[in-house]
Amino acid sequence: MTAPALSVEALSVSVERPSGRFLAVDEVSFEVAPGTALGLVGESGSGKSLTLRALMSLLPPAARIETGAVELNGKQLPGSGRAARRARRGRMAMVFQDPLSALDPVYPVGAQIAEVPRRILGLSRRRSWERTIELLRLVGIPDPARRARAYPHQLSGGMRQRVVIAIALASEPTVLLCDEPTTALDVTVQAQVLDLIDSLRARLHLTVVFVSHDLAVVRQVCDDLAVMYTGRLVETGPTTRVLEQPRHPYTLGLLDALVDLDRPVGAPRPIPGALPDLERLPGGCTFHPRCSFATAECEADRPDLEEILDDGVVRASACFHHDRLATARAAQ
Amino acid sequence: MSGQPAPQVDANANLLEVEDLSVTFHSHGGPLKAVDSVSLSLHAGETLGLVGESGCGKTTVAKCVAGLQRPDTGRISLDGIELAQRRTRSEYRSVQIVFQDPYSSLNPRLTVRRALTELLAVHRLVPRGRAEARCRELMSLVGLPAGALDGYPSAFSGGQRQRIAIARALAVEPRVLIADEPTSSLDVSVQATILSLFADLQARLGISVLLISHNLAAVRHLCDRVAVMYLGRIVEIGPTEAIFTDARHPYTQALLAAAPRIAPHGPLTRSRLRGEPPSPTAIPSGCPFHPRCPRAEAICAVELPELARARGSALDAACHFRDERRHPELVA
Repeated sequence: MTAPALSVEALSVSVERPSGRFLAVDEVSFEVAPGTALGLVGESGSGKSLTLRALMSLLPPAARIETGAVELNGKQLPGSGRAARRARRGRMAMVFQDPLSALDPVYPVGAQIAEVPRRILGLSRRRSWERTIELLRLVGIPDPARRARAYPHQLSGGMRQRVVIAIALASEPTVLLCDEPTTALDVTVQAQVLDLIDSLRARLHLTVVFVSHDLAVVRQVCDDLAVMYTGRLVETGPTTRVLEQPRHPYTLGLLDALVDLDRPVGAPRPIPGALPDLERLPGGCTFHPRCSFATAECEADRPDLEEILDDGVVRASACFHHDRLATARAAQ
Repeated sequence: MSGQPAPQVDANANLLEVEDLSVTFHSHGGPLKAVDSVSLSLHAGETLGLVGESGCGKTTVAKCVAGLQRPDTGRISLDGIELAQRRTRSEYRSVQIVFQDPYSSLNPRLTVRRALTELLAVHRLVPRGRAEARCRELMSLVGLPAGALDGYPSAFSGGQRQRIAIARALAVEPRVLIADEPTSSLDVSVQATILSLFADLQARLGISVLLISHNLAAVRHLCDRVAVMYLGRIVEIGPTEAIFTDARHPYTQALLAAAPRIAPHGPLTRSRLRGEPPSPTAIPSGCPFHPRCPRAEAICAVELPELARARGSALDAACHFRDERRHPELVA
């Protein structure tokens, strides 16, 4: 197995609220092989976005890293502060959800891209501008020399997201972190942007971490999946394997709750109950009150994310009953 | 339920009729034709889906139907009686709308009980002594405990708020319920519960629903018929199954091909629609879809195709080539 490009070891992030501090990301560990894409999925409050921000060292003021190490190509990165951000520059970059708020409305988009190669890669003004045009062409913007002089409001939503991707790529990173990059876009444009991210990954050999709440979107671009619930990873593995034979009841519940285009017959089955408050998590497995597989063991103990060997594929589940899930699916 | 008139479902009667509706906004960029000659009808007890990308005019149509937007031309009639520009109180009651964002559509300073009883009093729907009973009835109708009446909106989750918004719409005993993207601000596992609620309400109360959504899976799941809009016009309309299996308009086909799917569904890299919808201030000549259409020929740039029945199909499509089956490049 190749050495991972990005590895995260026991990352915990706490968030301060008026009522006190609580863990929003709890001992999350994963590895991403170079040139592959990992999808980090979960519902709101699952900790997926905070995990991504902690990787990028862009946590909001109320949040802080408690423990954990982030390694890039085998070298550990400092966790927070100015040194942490400097260490990531030119190596990791992030694409944000809402392109309109990620761009500065008072500068032409070209200037916002050109700033990056000039300041981070130390290119001359002229060379930076040439690079900007190349980048705009790379992300599929027609007539790049003219569009570089456009202001964000003069571009459509899809074009703006392409510009945001160009800015991320301008520092020539090896790791691209994407935070719900297509949520604000329409379906036909979303499909184009997903294709773009996938083709850039292949062409530039980028390592991608893609955060989304949409399993169908993640399936299109990710080799592997990591499912989060209440701040913990509950299931990881190759995308098709996880979606076809989930080994955690929460993944199964998400799939059953999904209104899928290809499954018009049979109502979607909602997961019973509601997402728990992170400050008042249930004891044992945090999913047990909503889980049809739960036993007394699940109320008492919290299962760790443990590796399962499944037909020669390595995957992992944080469920005591993952083998019961496998047999239940097989019986269906 | 007792307050509601017994559902009289006559599948052939048009409850709501929209004829030749047009709305033009006057923006900085010149006149913006948001809705152009839209006609549609809604039978009693039917669910009609209105789909399309942002800016296609679907919400403007909904606002006109709800009496919140004055159309420039066109007629809207209910039970064969035209609704005047200024509606009477009972006319307003008969068409209710549930908005996308349950965080901004509820008054944060009123308890649920207060919001509902005020509504019941203003419309003189029940004697004061019966108001509490009616409130409880509404809560049970949308699947909330009676205790929820004492809460302020801030105490509820997104899904619960959407239920409250639905209860508020139902309180005035509407004939037509318009739902404008009712699930798009909710988590995946909650979306399913709200969609089931709509199906359930429809079955129990026999009301007609106009569901506006960009979520094609939700539309397929809930609707009897679907209308697809592009740049202010209906480009295709007909029975749901026909839309999803034998769409004749290349735009409908492209929308379906672009929708993310969970199940493996042919090769992942499909050909995509090029570009994005043009600005509604500069609608292309002829068929407005022709600059993006893979099927377009010379005639499409010149002549606007009318919405007419396609041969061998139950669908009406506004395409010169409506009699052809799927365009091979856009097969999902």
